[in-house]
Amino acid sequence: MVRLITHNLLACHVKNCTVNNFPLEFKNVQLEIREAEFNPDFIRGFLPKLEWKALVDTARQLGDTSLPTEQPEMIDDEFLQNLHHVLLEIHVEEGSMICNNCKHEYPISSGIPNMLLAEHEIA
Amino acid sequence: MPKYLVHFAQVHNEFRIPELQSIAELHGFQVQIVENPGGHGSDPNRPFMVLQLDDEKHAKILAQRCILIKAIYEFYAQGTTYAELHQQNQLPEIRVEWQKYVEDTTFKFFVTGYNHKIPQRRQREVIESFSYMGFLGKIDMKNPEISLICFEEYDEDRKLATRAKHEGDSQFKQVYFGKLLAESSARPLVGVFDVKKRKYFGNTSMEAEVSLLMANQTMASPGKLMYDPFMGTGSMAYPVAHFGALVFGSDIDGRQMRGKQGVEGEPGVMRAAKQYGVQNRILDLATFDITHNPWRTGGMFDAIITDPPYGVRAGAKRLGRKRELSERQKELCRLHRENPRPDDTPYIPPTKPYELSHLVEDLVLFARYVLRPNGRLVFFLPTVTDEYEEVDINTMLCEGMEVIANSLQDFGAWGRRLITIRKTTAEEYPPPAFRERDQQPNEDGVEPTEQDKHVPAHKDFREKYFQGFSKDKAMAPTSLPPVPK
Repeated sequence: MVRLITHNLLACHVKNCTVNNFPLEFKNVQLEIREAEFNPDFIRGFLPKLEWKALVDTARQLGDTSLPTEQPEMIDDEFLQNLHHVLLEIHVEEGSMICNNCKHEYPISSGIPNMLLAEHEIA
Repeated sequence: MPKYLVHFAQVHNEFRIPELQSIAELHGFQVQIVENPGGHGSDPNRPFMVLQLDDEKHAKILAQRCILIKAIYEFYAQGTTYAELHQQNQLPEIRVEWQKYVEDTTFKFFVTGYNHKIPQRRQREVIESFSYMGFLGKIDMKNPEISLICFEEYDEDRKLATRAKHEGDSQFKQVYFGKLLAESSARPLVGVFDVKKRKYFGNTSMEAEVSLLMANQTMASPGKLMYDPFMGTGSMAYPVAHFGALVFGSDIDGRQMRGKQGVEGEPGVMRAAKQYGVQNRILDLATFDITHNPWRTGGMFDAIITDPPYGVRAGAKRLGRKRELSERQKELCRLHRENPRPDDTPYIPPTKPYELSHLVEDLVLFARYVLRPNGRLVFFLPTVTDEYEEVDINTMLCEGMEVIANSLQDFGAWGRRLITIRKTTAEEYPPPAFRERDQQPNEDGVEPTEQDKHVPAHKDFREKYFQGFSKDKAMAPTSLPPVPK
C-alpha cells in the first residue's frame, strides 16, 4: 500500500501550499513487492491521468528504472507490463511523504498514510 | 422477442428494477418489463415479473449478477385461471418453444404457491392438466434435463388459509408457467459476505445484502476504479472488489480502517479483504477528511460508493472546531504545535460535526469533480418518512449530475434511500469549496435559489432521530436548544 498510482494522484493540501506541492517525496521507506492482476485496458485508460515525470522520478528513486524518461508514443505490451508493475505492484509500507514546498510530513504506517491536516494548516 | 419470468427474493422491492437496469447497462443490453393487466406489470412489490430480452445470454447474465433474483425461467404462459394459462401455452408461437422437449428429454415438474401451500393432491391434478403437452421423456427428480414450473401467486391473506382437499382453481392472483433457465448464482453471495463471519467489522458495517446491491448500482467490473470517501470498516469495498473493480478508501478516522491493533500490523480492512481474496484490489487506504483532501486532479473514478455517517450511531465529522477559539487560546495552540510534547504524537486535529444536508451537497459536488463522465455516485441518504418529499433530492443536485435511481429501505418512522446519481457531463469542473455554512452569507456570493430555500427532510437528521421524529420539535428552526455557556 501506498502504491505509486496513488502517490501520483496525491498532492500536499496544506492551506496556501499550491506551488511545488507535487510530487510528495518519499523518505525512509520500506518497500514490498506484491503481484497484482494485469489489466492492460485499465493501465492504458489511466495514462492520461498520470503526471509522467513525477512517476518516473519516483520509481527511479525507489530503485525501479524500467520506465522511459519520456512517455513513448508507441505503446506496446512490454511497456504496459512495466507500467503495471510500477503503478500497482510496488507498495510503500512504512516511511513518510514530504512536501518539497512547505515541508509537511505525511507519515505512512502499515501502508496507510496519515494525510490529516493540523488546525493551523487548514485556516 | 423471447420472454423471461423472473422470480425475485421478496425483499428490498424498490431496489429490483434499478438493479436489473444497472446490470443490463453494464453488459450493454436492454431490459423491457412486460406490462400486462392480469399480472404484475411493473409493480415491483410482486414476486414475479416478465421481461423481454433480446437474447437468452442476457437472462443468464442477470441471474449471475442480480442479488435480488432467485431464478429466471423461460416464460411460456400466465393467467388468472388455469383455462387462460393453458390456452396461452398452446398458442403456436409458444408450442414451438416447448415442443422440442417432447420426444426425449428427462424432466421434472413443480407446482408451487407463493403465499400459500398447495396440497399435494391438488399439485398432481395441476400437473395432469398439462398432459396435452405429451412429454415422452422420463421423469427425473434428481438430474432432469429440464425443469418445468408452475407458480401460483396468492395475496398475503391467503398465507395461512386452509382449503378443502378437492378445491380446484383457487383464488390466486395469477398463475405462471415456464422452464427453469438459471438459478441465481449471485444471491448466495449474501451468505459469503455475511458481516458476522467477517474477520473485521464494526458496529456501523453495512449488511451484506445491501452492500452487494450498492455494488451493483456502481456497475463494478474488472478495470474500473472506485472510491469510498467514508470507508469506515470497508463494507462496500469488498463486494465491489469481488466484482473485479479496484477500490480506494479514505476516512477521517484511520482507526476505523485499521481496527484494534492501531498503526502496528495489518489493517482490519486488509484482513477482511484477504478473507475474500480481494486484497490486491484494495488499491490504497488513506486517512484524511474529504473536506480537506489531497487529490491532485479529478475525473479518475468510475464510481463513488459510500455510506456517509449520518449520525445514528456515528455522526459525520470534518476538520475544524465547534467554537472559535479566543486569541489567547489560538496563541497557546500555536506555541504547543511548535514545541510538541513527546507523548503528543500522533497529533489528532480537532473535528466538528458535519451536518448531513451540507455533507450530501458537498458529496455530489465532489463526485462531479472526481468522477469520469458517466461515472456514478451511489450512497445512502437517511430521511424522515413523514416529511420526505421528492424535491428533497433536488436540493443536493448540481449541474451535470442526474438522479437515475432512488430506492427506499423503510424502517418505519425513518428510512434510508439508496441514491444513484450519474455524471451526465463531460465538462471538467473545479474541486468543490466545501464552504462552511455557518458563515453567512454564502462565501461564493451566489444568491440562494428557490431550490436552496427548500429545507430537505434529511436536514438535521441526527437531531430528529434522537427526538423520535416528533413533528413540533423537528419543525423548530435549528432543532437543538442553544448550549448554555
